[in-house]
Amino acid sequence: MSKFILPVFIIVVLIIGYVKKAGVYDSFVEGSRQSVKLILEIFPYICAVLIAVELFSLSGLNAYFSRFLAPVFNLLGIPSELCELVVIRPLSGNGSIAILENIYKTYGADSYIARCGSVIVGASETVFYIATVYFSTTKVKKLRYAIPISLFSCYLGAIFACLLCRFI
Amino acid sequence: MNTMFFVMTVASLILLTVISPDSAFSIMISGAGSAISLAVKLCAIYAIWLSVLDIMQKIGMSRALDKLFSPITKRLFKGESEQTRQYITLNFSANLLGMGSAATPLGIKAMEGMQDGSDKATDNMILFMVINATSIQLLPATIIGLRSSYGSASASDIILPSLISTVISTVCGVLLAKAFSFPSKRKKKTEITLPQPLKGAKLK
Repeated sequence: MSKFILPVFIIVVLIIGYVKKAGVYDSFVEGSRQSVKLILEIFPYICAVLIAVELFSLSGLNAYFSRFLAPVFNLLGIPSELCELVVIRPLSGNGSIAILENIYKTYGADSYIARCGSVIVGASETVFYIATVYFSTTKVKKLRYAIPISLFSCYLGAIFACLLCRFI
Repeated sequence: MNTMFFVMTVASLILLTVISPDSAFSIMISGAGSAISLAVKLCAIYAIWLSVLDIMQKIGMSRALDKLFSPITKRLFKGESEQTRQYITLNFSANLLGMGSAATPLGIKAMEGMQDGSDKATDNMILFMVINATSIQLLPATIIGLRSSYGSASASDIILPSLISTVISTVCGVLLAKAFSFPSKRKKKTEITLPQPLKGAKLK
């Protein structure tokens, strides 16, 4: 059912646009132009962040860091198998999907660990990516309390995710 | 952000120099390389969505959506223009439906509308970022698909816990953002020059 929503939505927009003489082709030219401009503006930010994230995860520092934090997470009810995932989640979307796939392979997709991991990834976002990309075209340099609040809320969500998976 | 970037890269590089010095540079290049392939992919997705958005604006569809959600958005984001509110509404709608990549260009436009020209993020900008960062997705379709491809018997049983978890994190984020914006608003009204609240936070 849900796979029909997207194409149907675009068809409806296109038909109304054509009927109302909104210049559908012109809109696509304009949209594509804006897209290129936007990418050129946000690319430097994506690039810098991804260099740091790639180093962090491939150097193995991520694993050490997770092991170091494991006791704290355990105390909060997050199993130690998920520490690496919880650490990488706010940094990299692709990275957390890769770790989640690993969890599915190791523990099975229906295990408690896998369900917790799925909820953590499904119910949160790449906080640092959003912080860099969303502010990239503005003059803002100081994000004030934006990142601490986002991270705190996401971790609270993760703690509840592990709790909920025990019962639901 | 500068401190965070510095700590992450230098600590990783030092570790790499100790364990495998020849891979350090290639990892940095692969990071930049994945940024390029991501940018190309995003450019394609944004081209489609920005085009559809352009038509939606021309036919008044985004204004209709704004009218529908304005009781909420007007209260949450006080003092923003109608145009900005439209982008906020569209960004939330795209997020709710799980189209994160469609939400990003809208979010960027909303942020542009909310800036006040200074180099500090306004309270509304922070609230907006927090709502986006805590995810308001109704259905984690990607994860469900991934789970069933790994042989899960009931891949969709994560829907309910995900929904509860994301509601908790978003509500917590909104409340915290509102709570933190309170002192800065009061400061503006009474015009007392106090030291910045939360000086540590801006380091990140």
